[in-house]
Amino acid sequence: MKDVETRPKRYERVIILALLLASLPLILGFSLLTISSLSTNMVTNLDPDSFHSTLENWINLFKGKIATTGGIRVNIWRITLNTLVVALGVAGVVTGISALAGYSLSRIDFRGRKILMVLLLILHAFPGVALIVGVYLLYRLTFPQSHDLVGLYSFIYVILARAALEIPMSIWLMKGFFDTIPWEFEWSGIIDGASRITVWRKIMLPLIKPGVLAVALFAFLAGWQDIIYVRTFLIHPTLATFIEANIEAEYSHMPLIAAAGTVYLLPTIIFFITAQQLLLQSYSGGIKG
Amino acid sequence: MVKVILDNITKRFDDFAALKGVTLEITDKEFMALLGPSGSGKSTLLYTIAGIYRPTSGRIYFDDRDVTDVPPKDRNVGLVFQNWALYPHMKVFDNIAFPLELRKFPKEEIAKKVKEVAEMLRIETLLNRYPWQLSGGQQQRVAIARALVKEPDVLLLDEPLSNLDALLRLEVRAELKRLQKELGITAVYVTHDQAEALAMADRIAVIKEGEILQVGDPDEVYYKPKYRFVGGFLGSPPMNFLDAEVQDPYLDVYGNRILIPIQYRELVKKLGVRKVILGFRPHDAEVVRGVAEGLVGTVYSFEPLGREQIVTVSVNGASLKVFAPEGEHFTFGEQVTVKLREDRIILFDKKTEKALEFLEE
Amino acid sequence: MRKEKLRDLSFFLSPMVLMVLLFYLVPLIMTIYISMTRMKNWNVERYLTEFVGIYNYERLFYMFQHDPTFKAVIMTTIVFVGITLMINVFGGLSLALATFFINERAASSYRLLWLLPRMSPIAVYSLVWYYFFHGSEIGTLNSILMSLGLISEPIPWGQVTPWGAWSVIIFVNGLVGVSFGMIVFTSALNQIPKELVIAARVDGASSWQISKRILIPMMKWHLLYVLTWQFLSLLTTYPHLFLLVEWDLVNRDYGTTLALYVFNTAFGRGEQDQGLAAAAAVVLSIIGVIGGFVTLKVLQFEKMMKKPRGDF
Ligand SMILES: Nc1ncnc2c1ncn2[C@@H]1O[C@H](COP(=O)(O)OP(=O)(O)OP(=O)(O)O)[C@@H](O)[C@H]1O
Ligand SMILES: [Mg+2]
Repeated sequence: MKDVETRPKRYERVIILALLLASLPLILGFSLLTISSLSTNMVTNLDPDSFHSTLENWINLFKGKIATTGGIRVNIWRITLNTLVVALGVAGVVTGISALAGYSLSRIDFRGRKILMVLLLILHAFPGVALIVGVYLLYRLTFPQSHDLVGLYSFIYVILARAALEIPMSIWLMKGFFDTIPWEFEWSGIIDGASRITVWRKIMLPLIKPGVLAVALFAFLAGWQDIIYVRTFLIHPTLATFIEANIEAEYSHMPLIAAAGTVYLLPTIIFFITAQQLLLQSYSGGIKG
Repeated sequence: MVKVILDNITKRFDDFAALKGVTLEITDKEFMALLGPSGSGKSTLLYTIAGIYRPTSGRIYFDDRDVTDVPPKDRNVGLVFQNWALYPHMKVFDNIAFPLELRKFPKEEIAKKVKEVAEMLRIETLLNRYPWQLSGGQQQRVAIARALVKEPDVLLLDEPLSNLDALLRLEVRAELKRLQKELGITAVYVTHDQAEALAMADRIAVIKEGEILQVGDPDEVYYKPKYRFVGGFLGSPPMNFLDAEVQDPYLDVYGNRILIPIQYRELVKKLGVRKVILGFRPHDAEVVRGVAEGLVGTVYSFEPLGREQIVTVSVNGASLKVFAPEGEHFTFGEQVTVKLREDRIILFDKKTEKALEFLEE
Repeated sequence: MRKEKLRDLSFFLSPMVLMVLLFYLVPLIMTIYISMTRMKNWNVERYLTEFVGIYNYERLFYMFQHDPTFKAVIMTTIVFVGITLMINVFGGLSLALATFFINERAASSYRLLWLLPRMSPIAVYSLVWYYFFHGSEIGTLNSILMSLGLISEPIPWGQVTPWGAWSVIIFVNGLVGVSFGMIVFTSALNQIPKELVIAARVDGASSWQISKRILIPMMKWHLLYVLTWQFLSLLTTYPHLFLLVEWDLVNRDYGTTLALYVFNTAFGRGEQDQGLAAAAAVVLSIIGVIGGFVTLKVLQFEKMMKKPRGDF
């Protein structure tokens, strides 16, 4: 905004300062984590003496040596890859399904459309996490017999289950994007002989690319940061469960965990800085008021 | 190339009636203008012909074929939208080729047809650009090319020129008329610009609040308006209207007495109307200095327009616009008389605002 | 319906319907079913068919009356949801207004910063506060207060019951919700015609007066939206709490809300009791669904649902 010309300057400084003060814990917390990853011990107590710069943690992290002593090793690349697979899977499933459903809710009049939209809103308002007991029972009941399939199965299941949580909100988001496209584009295609499916694929999807991207980013971040579902359903570790398990472990070298945390944080930061506007616009829940 | 027949079409949106019993016949190869103010239902009618809207009641025929329940893609119509709706992610070539691709034409044939239509509209050098790289006039041609490339039976145009600047509009409108005649295609042209309708159309249908008030060729609609609304909507400046009272054989018009025009004498007697509205066009009268036979008033204002000028005359509080030759000089407040061309006067019934000759219909 | 329309609809909607059935409807039925069995330690083979009727609900009710741990959970849920909600709404509003009145560059940096709590991975975010509130002298808060001479001994904040634990979980989750509020309110503010603000400025109104008299009254809907939405979200989500409790940063009893209680009872360490957990989940779901309906009514979403155009 805003009222740039009319705003008194000195108030602005006061506000900026107050905001800085309020943000201090946040800034402090995140900075200390990053700094610790470059130090021989954790620098959480503001004591400059405890900081001894080293790259050891990062080197060890990528080598998978999580303890300074002993032979405990993990394959951090593998763990990161697992996290990535889950995140990409969730992003793909969510984007695909919501691009399909969002279009029909925005553009096709059919009986039950309103009810469906209300239902989705309720599912959106009421996070499905509360149903995790039931989701787990389904998981157990459909668990494959063959050992070779267990890993694959758990990946697929965690992706689908986690995607399901994001779907109601994403459909609303996507519907909102479709709503902004003038009807003439659609009609033009219809008159020229396209089916709704062709219109969707050839005309509408290219037109809402930014929306698709926004939904995909959100879903990716949701999958990337998840801990509860990954912990419950996935056989393999991800960065989240890796950190969770090693906080209280005697052997783990904490600055190395801090490095892992920094790695884990990185995509989020990158996405945010590059796609800030897009994400901010969509993050109000896809509901324009 | 078909004849389009609209038979008593009604279209309701929830409880709002956008079209109320529209009956209209558009003959083969005809250029029909659909003229009306904003919100009168022009686009709705056009979309109903295209099949985007299904009429709430009534039938639509293309020749003898009842197409009321035929989906848009099987009607073979071309539609140019008000905002042109060019697909921004496709190049001009692909935009024009899109309807053909959907019909699974072979590649070479698509290329050939696109090239033909592009040449016809003189956009053959633009095929490799994106719509946003074109000027408004060029985009508009692309939109028309896209509608024409599939050789539609009916071409529907929804205010295609309203996004162009005034000069370009004049140029394109002449071209469009020529194109329609060359191709011999049945065309329905929606506009709210009366000059456009008069200049281009074979016939004009004037629509107001979802009802067609009058259909006729430009002269008919211009000189023989069926309703006060039609007279007031066409022409610039529009028709003058004055309340008048019948005092056989005179009309009392704001204190002036003029003879009832000869063509109306019988009719007025027969209908026995008392309160009427007298209508005449600004060029169907002249202004003379001083008091004479006619409507006596004072000069309120005058606006030179180059070849002629518009004089606004105040007659006992009512205001009239009349064309006068450029040479004459008037002064504010000067007493003048407006003499009417009797045979061009139209009398409307005060209550129904319908011209007397149509009152019994 | 025409055949073509049916084909189109099933193309567009069936994946979504399948997902909703598989991961909402079926789990809901299964949760209700489990709540009526003696399911323990996920011993499906043994307990899945051992039907006990409403026994688990009776146990839940009994615990509600007599079990101090469960009472603590209920108290925690109420205090946590209530206070965090207020922090979310007022914090979000303050942030949105504050960033509204400063220059765009500073504003967007602050907004970015305040998105961190919501967008950073839960494990990282929790890790940050783990060290901040740590009970020993390595805890940032302890070390600040000690060097200021305000305390002489490190305080295990999260283990001080009930308010220490509550403060930590409210703080940590409060910031997450503040991000959400801030984004919603910022977008609402951007929709307000700026002529209104400029006109008020010209009339000599201060930022505070402008906020109170013009901006906030125009954001009523958004206030309600954040309020109802966050209420449901706080009631039913728990990943941050899960980690804080798991890492023993906060007291188990006073760091656990009903939603986390469900999860820990079903999946936690030691004895698992899915029958009981499912019963609690059903109670939670009922509150959630009622809350969802109320939200819809209050926010009048139906008015926003435009009918699609065209009859083809
Ligand atoms: N889908 C719809 N639902 C409800 N009302 C509609 C719908 N489409 C059009 N209308 C209403 O029908 C009336 C006629 O609309 P239409 O678009 O046909 O007008 P128009 O003559 O094309 O106007 P303009 O010159 O502004 O384009 C308007 O009052 C409009 O509000
Ligand atoms: Mg229109």
